[in-house]
Amino acid sequence: MDDIKDIQNVEVASEGKQYIVVRLGSEQYGIDIQYIDNIVRMSKITRIPGSQKFFKGIINLRGEIIPVMSLRLKFNLEPDEYMNSTRIIIIKLESQSAVGIIVDEVKEVVTLDENSIEKTSAASSNDIDIQYLSGVGKHDDGLITLLNIASVIIEKENDKA
Amino acid sequence: MDVSQYLEIFIDETKEHLQTLSDQIMILEQEPENMDVINEIFRAAHSLKGMAGTMGFKRMQRLTHDMENVFQEVRSGNMTVQPELVDVLFRGLDALEAYLAEILETANEGTEDNEDIINTLNSIAQKASGKEAPKEEAKPAAASSGEEGPKYDTISITDFEKSTFEKAKNDNQNIFGITVYLQETCILKAARAFLVFKALEELGEVIKAVPSVQDIEDEKFELDFSLVYFTKEDLETVKNAIESVSEIKKAIVGPFEVKDSAATASSETPAKEEEKAAEPENKQPAASAAVAKQPAAQKKEAAAKKAPAKAAKPTVGRTVRVDIEKLDVLMNLVSELIIAKNGLVSVSAGDDSQADSGFNEQIEYLESVTTNLHESVMKVRMVPIESVVNRFPRMIRDLCKKLDKRMELHMSGEETELDRTVIDEIGDPLQHLLRNSADHGLESNEERLALGKDEIGHIYLDAYQDGNNVTIEVRDDGAGIDVEKVKNKAIDKGTITVEQAEAMSNKEIIDLLFRPSFSTAEKITDVSGRGVGLDVVKTKIEGLGGSIECKTELGEGSSFIIRLPLTLAIIQALMVELGSEKYAIPLGSILTIEDVPFSDIKHVQTKEVINLRGSVIPLVRLDKILDVEPGEFKPESLTVVIVKKGDRQTGLVVDNLIGQQEIVIKPIGEYIHCSKLISGATILGNGDIALILEANTLV
Repeated sequence: MDDIKDIQNVEVASEGKQYIVVRLGSEQYGIDIQYIDNIVRMSKITRIPGSQKFFKGIINLRGEIIPVMSLRLKFNLEPDEYMNSTRIIIIKLESQSAVGIIVDEVKEVVTLDENSIEKTSAASSNDIDIQYLSGVGKHDDGLITLLNIASVIIEKENDKA
Repeated sequence: MDVSQYLEIFIDETKEHLQTLSDQIMILEQEPENMDVINEIFRAAHSLKGMAGTMGFKRMQRLTHDMENVFQEVRSGNMTVQPELVDVLFRGLDALEAYLAEILETANEGTEDNEDIINTLNSIAQKASGKEAPKEEAKPAAASSGEEGPKYDTISITDFEKSTFEKAKNDNQNIFGITVYLQETCILKAARAFLVFKALEELGEVIKAVPSVQDIEDEKFELDFSLVYFTKEDLETVKNAIESVSEIKKAIVGPFEVKDSAATASSETPAKEEEKAAEPENKQPAASAAVAKQPAAQKKEAAAKKAPAKAAKPTVGRTVRVDIEKLDVLMNLVSELIIAKNGLVSVSAGDDSQADSGFNEQIEYLESVTTNLHESVMKVRMVPIESVVNRFPRMIRDLCKKLDKRMELHMSGEETELDRTVIDEIGDPLQHLLRNSADHGLESNEERLALGKDEIGHIYLDAYQDGNNVTIEVRDDGAGIDVEKVKNKAIDKGTITVEQAEAMSNKEIIDLLFRPSFSTAEKITDVSGRGVGLDVVKTKIEGLGGSIECKTELGEGSSFIIRLPLTLAIIQALMVELGSEKYAIPLGSILTIEDVPFSDIKHVQTKEVINLRGSVIPLVRLDKILDVEPGEFKPESLTVVIVKKGDRQTGLVVDNLIGQQEIVIKPIGEYIHCSKLISGATILGNGDIALILEANTLV
């Protein structure tokens, strides 16, 4: 809860899009800030028997039931290890109900303008299905993989795990 | 101003009027002489016409207008109600419903003119009156009573406005005072006023309105309003323009004289300033900038609205009409809740010695308030089943004609209340069952007579509350279901083998009817018999958490019994523990809870069963099905929750019982695909989540 306030304090730049930079293992990913509803600390996840593998279960967010998925499992990375820095990012796409995604750490908010974003094709990481990516952003010295959050969340018929 | 904001009201009210019409015409068919009914129909048709006209739905207006004409004749005694008249009225109703459906979809009435219905109506009306069908103007405006004078005389004019008068005069414009009276029955007064304004602005310029334009738009006026108006047209043209708007009772137009008293009142205003203020007006002699722009903007708006008709699709909210008393109760409870909260605050602020007992007291108070609150909110969501079933008499009537059978529908318990979500969904299944009864269930009149039954077939629709369930029964006194015929058909279709058929009980065979694509009707009619019916009915009802069962007696009739949970949102459940996880089993499906020693478990065909008081019950190990990690605790006996579905029972093995609890069902959401076994989740007192098991799926 508190994290989101810090993020909102960041000055909104006139140009470019804002992304929240999160860490999964050693890689950095960017999520378009407009889809982010909230960022909460790890809380107790209730397992749902027989669900897709990458759905860890559901959490109770102030009386709402929110399904939570593991980005690591979705991207075929090592299973999550919950640490103090682990966060659940609550994503709300237009006209869809909210869904949470687990990340290792929420780092910062960056503003990327068109010039510093490279549309993906070659530069994509091998582990992640290309459909989940929207581009690669350059910020300071690091690279940020920008997620196409809609395709991460909305299930395609073929990947029922 | 824009009439689209009235669309929602229009749709709601049109639905109501259509229902009234339908009901009343049904009665009329039985009692063609009943004057009250005829008047009621006339009124409903009239209101419909007015509303459709206001909204600019011309075709709808025309159709209702002609229906109204016919009733005018009936009312004045020029004709009597004939069966063919009732038929054509029903056809008219259907056409109106089609218009409404089209409006719902696209905010436009579509292009179907329904000429044939209109022609039939007109010829009926003509025959009756022996002359041309009455035109729109046939109804003379009600004789003006004394008080409906030209109120525009009383409009006072400021100096500033006066200056514009001078300009207008120099420009050879006429200055009129206009007072418009609306009919008492007019429903959308503001919309009417808007149409008047629109008509006037095409011819000239409205300078001042009493009450103000804003108030008129907000419908803050009685039945009349007055205007000061500049135009180059003559008095008659203006008057006609106003009276072309329907539901206008009367328009009084006359030359407007500026009164001195008004002028002197503000004569202190320096003349210079007056001139200055009037200056912008100078440049646009005919119309002030603001008013001139307005019609243009409106035209644009109208044009824009026409193009993306789909975009303007009215959002019809899923609304519930709530009795104001129910809301008052809610309000009271909320205020009590606040009192309870304040009580807690003061207890915690008080000194410690009294705190404990005071605290408990307040908690108890809070508990009773929340329980009441919950009950009231549930009540608000409840809607009488009447809103669904009231269209059925009409349907059966049509089926009578179509199938050429005489039958009657008897309904009871229309006031039984169900949750709104259930009400929305239950209509289609019921309709299907009724059609089934009418088409397949009831024999033809001749057969019935031959069998010594009452010639008229009877269909019953009974609804009643039964504990935490609502039961709806669709029953007929027809032929009943021929079990042998079903059996043979099933064997023919390869649904079951001959051996299976032999082993099946009558009940199991009847259950075959609920399988997909199974129909015993020899011929397909457009009423029913395509074999897509009963399985859809069953799926739908099970989707609502209910169940359906069929009882039949050959030659006596059959009945379909639907059981539905009273509400979907809150249920009583038994909380159980499996390993470290908690699950909720709805209490409604639980029969008993048994402690079964391991030695009592028998194996039949490698499946575990128990023999409980003479009946063999299969056991289901919930922990295996749900992949729960087994706890270390190894009990000597099994705790078995016996659940039932219809006549069948199953024992669910659980690790531990926690107890009975009232739970709020929350959906899991569309992202997670989980087995049908889990119907939702609930949040427990400590914030943990427990999953709700749909025990029915295991039986």
